[in-house]
Amino acid sequence: MVSVINTVDTSHEDMIHDAQMDYYGTRLATCSSDRSVKIFDVRNGGQILIADLRGHEGPVWQVAWAHPMYGNILASCSYDRKVIIWKEENGTWEKTYEYTGHDSSVNSVCWAPHDYGLILACGSSDGAISLLSYTGDGQWEVKKISNAHTIGCNAVSWAPAVVPGSLIEQPSGQKPNYVKRFASGGCDNLVKIWKEEDSQWKEEQKLEAHSDWVRDVAWAPSIGLPTSTIASCSQDGRVFIWTCDDASGNSWSPKLLHKFNDVVWHVSWSITANILAVSGGDNKVTLWKESVDGLWACISDVNKGQGGVSAVTEGQQNEQ
Amino acid sequence: MEEPDTEPPLVVVPGADPSARQLCFAWGPAEVLVCETRFGRADAGEGAPGSSRVFVVRRDQDIYIQTLRKLFNESHGIFMGLQRSEEELAGKSRKAQLVQVSKNYRSVIRACMEDMHQAAVSTRDPALQGQYSTQVSILSAMELIWNLCEILFVEAAAAGLLLLRLLDWVRLHVCDVDSMVREVLSSENPSKHKLFWNVVDVFVLQGRMDEARHLLSKEVTANPTSMNMYKILDDLMKKMPMPSLGNTQTLTELELKWQHWHEECQRFLQDGTFASNPHMESICKILVGDEDAILEKKELMTTWYHFLVTRLLYSHPTVKPMELRFYAQSSMDLFLGGESSPEPLDMILMAAFEFEMHQVIKECSIVLSNWWFVAHLTDLLDHCKLLQSHNLYFGSNMREFLLLEYASGLFSHHSLWQLGVDYFDHCPEFGRVYLELHIERIPLNTEQKALKVLRICEQRQMHEQVRSICKIMAMKALRNNRLGSALSWSIRAKDAAFATLISDRFLKDYCERGCFSDLDLIDNLGPSMLLSDRLTFLGKYREFHRLYGEKRFPEAARLLLTLMTAHIAPCSFWMTLLTDALPLLEQKEIIFSAEQTYELMRCLEDLTAGNVDKQKFQEDDVETTKVEMLRLALARNLARVIVKEGTVEGS
Repeated sequence: MVSVINTVDTSHEDMIHDAQMDYYGTRLATCSSDRSVKIFDVRNGGQILIADLRGHEGPVWQVAWAHPMYGNILASCSYDRKVIIWKEENGTWEKTYEYTGHDSSVNSVCWAPHDYGLILACGSSDGAISLLSYTGDGQWEVKKISNAHTIGCNAVSWAPAVVPGSLIEQPSGQKPNYVKRFASGGCDNLVKIWKEEDSQWKEEQKLEAHSDWVRDVAWAPSIGLPTSTIASCSQDGRVFIWTCDDASGNSWSPKLLHKFNDVVWHVSWSITANILAVSGGDNKVTLWKESVDGLWACISDVNKGQGGVSAVTEGQQNEQ
Repeated sequence: MEEPDTEPPLVVVPGADPSARQLCFAWGPAEVLVCETRFGRADAGEGAPGSSRVFVVRRDQDIYIQTLRKLFNESHGIFMGLQRSEEELAGKSRKAQLVQVSKNYRSVIRACMEDMHQAAVSTRDPALQGQYSTQVSILSAMELIWNLCEILFVEAAAAGLLLLRLLDWVRLHVCDVDSMVREVLSSENPSKHKLFWNVVDVFVLQGRMDEARHLLSKEVTANPTSMNMYKILDDLMKKMPMPSLGNTQTLTELELKWQHWHEECQRFLQDGTFASNPHMESICKILVGDEDAILEKKELMTTWYHFLVTRLLYSHPTVKPMELRFYAQSSMDLFLGGESSPEPLDMILMAAFEFEMHQVIKECSIVLSNWWFVAHLTDLLDHCKLLQSHNLYFGSNMREFLLLEYASGLFSHHSLWQLGVDYFDHCPEFGRVYLELHIERIPLNTEQKALKVLRICEQRQMHEQVRSICKIMAMKALRNNRLGSALSWSIRAKDAAFATLISDRFLKDYCERGCFSDLDLIDNLGPSMLLSDRLTFLGKYREFHRLYGEKRFPEAARLLLTLMTAHIAPCSFWMTLLTDALPLLEQKEIIFSAEQTYELMRCLEDLTAGNVDKQKFQEDDVETTKVEMLRLALARNLARVIVKEGTVEGS
């Protein structure tokens, strides 16, 4: 049974653009056109405002929580071209870094897997993608991929950390040789995959299938299979599931999940990657699941409506 | 892309004006956040503010129902027992074992029903009462289904035994008539009770011959005129051939006997023996399996499956399992008679009678609000080796699929997650990775909980997760200024960088306050001291202080010197170390040898000449004074030690 268990009244004075739970589901961060980022403690169905962060000068589009091993850190990006990283120090939240290297709205931020360190990818309407890496002592190193997407970049999403080759435990303190990758989606209708080689970021793959701006990309968490999976959605109303079977990441094949009647804005995977949530223009969030024979089926609709909550028992289409 | 069999259910989130906005969402570890928004960057800053609410949407809320807790905990025990059970047992004993497991599950369901019922009765809140009552009926339905599955699939009762089991099943579950029965039996004069014949009918319909006969005997004592009819009917009922448990007769024998008896009943009926007593006549009609007569007693049977079993009892008691499906479908049609349509429960039972196991599981998955039932039932059926034989290529994966769903749901609960761990352990394909992904999301509110989670990870060699958890705890401790705790966590995480960071903090604290905190920890570092250079220095430096405190000056002096010459100490700390050397230089006893003194002097010169803080030294008065004092003390010591070493004893 799917039901609404809590309603958090954020008191934002304008449209909310993003809401993200922290790693444990105990805190909620929201950001809005009212230029503020708010953080709530939502344990046990309650809501306590912990912080109201001001610093942006325009609508804030996205927030992202870093892994708790780095402390309580939140990143936000905004129409004001800035990326701000906030940190909780001694019980209070403060701005710990501000990045102003983009020429127009920064649309998306995404933290890399914690195994790589504290690295943030930012995609902007100026077509560039910046990678901010924490090097210690309050210092951040910046790498920029200019012209990643012509016209603009709308979304970035990291691939899960997978150690290539041996599974032998590395000697303490030594970092294994990860191959860092992330995916981006842009106004050139493309999904691109970027790989770090010799400390430089290179375009590894171009995935073409959409006929209009790509609005969101989401790389699925790894469940130990040798396949990689990316979901992408676009203004053309289509959602594609891309899979790559070989370890070298060379051949990606798309499968059309569904053609919606309107722009699809947002796609996202659950933490065990077994459910994909898609939000379309028709006021619905649909949940999709892959059945064991590799086909996708819609399992639930979450819809806005009038009046009271009517929770309907959820169906599971597990055998077809 | 598939088209699902049924429309995906819609969950409506309360809000205003669906036409104006869109829904934005994000996944939490166990929930989905939904909020109103309007996508499209061009709208930046414009438009009405709209709702400022964020909705938290979740599945599997049943785990929070207190009264179901027992169900989850105890069934976990049964599940684990089943996984570990003797697979070497074959044939009958294995089957008996599995049937016992099934019975155990059912008794847990019943116990839970009982608790739920108590809760419903004792609460005064009508809403709660409604909730509890709903739960009771859901649990009751679950037990009904499970019981039937046990008979048909787990025990796989063969013809003969099958009917007996089905009779038990009906008697156990069709309870609507129980109160009526009690009422009549406990009245002073049962045969005069207006519902008397109803109760007799109930007994006959359920094959409870002895009880029926007993009641009838009461009637005839009050009504001696019907003595003849009674004797005949009583005799027929006494002689009715039934399958027996003891295997004392074969199926063929039973069939023959039954045929005989059936004909005898027919004859008495046709002869008009019971014509003057409509009640007795209708009983005899039931005995010969007259469908219309049986159907007349619809209200006493209440369900089509009761009707099915009664029909079988009186027309085909040696029914074989595979024949059930025909009788089931026609029974349902006859009983419902086009007036009402089958409910989900009916469809599930029908699927069971048709031996469509997968259909049963699928329908249950759709109708029930959590995965508990289908996960455990499927697991049991899998152990009975029934799913593979159905030749569907995901047969063996279905068990795992359902267990993964069930266990995942447990993880959002603050204590039931521990049960989830065991379930994941028994999912060979994806259990481990699901566990890895879920266990990282457990909030580590207390050190105790963190240790518990850690132990689970360590037992399963989940090294990445161990490291990650230790790092998170170390960071937390550091933020709360608990340096000792932070240090021990980072040692456990084998995180050299963090250990260095914390050691620096310790040293900084020492410089500021002149003493160490967490001495116990630092004194007992042992080999873990080698994790990072800074940590080694911290350990050794503390050792120096200890030696000094125990007045073991030569050893202390040697250690101090080594710390600098072997470059264990960071350059930034040398000044402090040299300053620590001062009291040793000023002792009455000569502690530093000539060579050592030269070494110290060299260290001092290295420090002051052309090095990092040269500028600082020259500007800072305190520093300059210190350096001068050191030079003086070193020179004096040198002088004394040269004399001492140069002196020949006794002269």
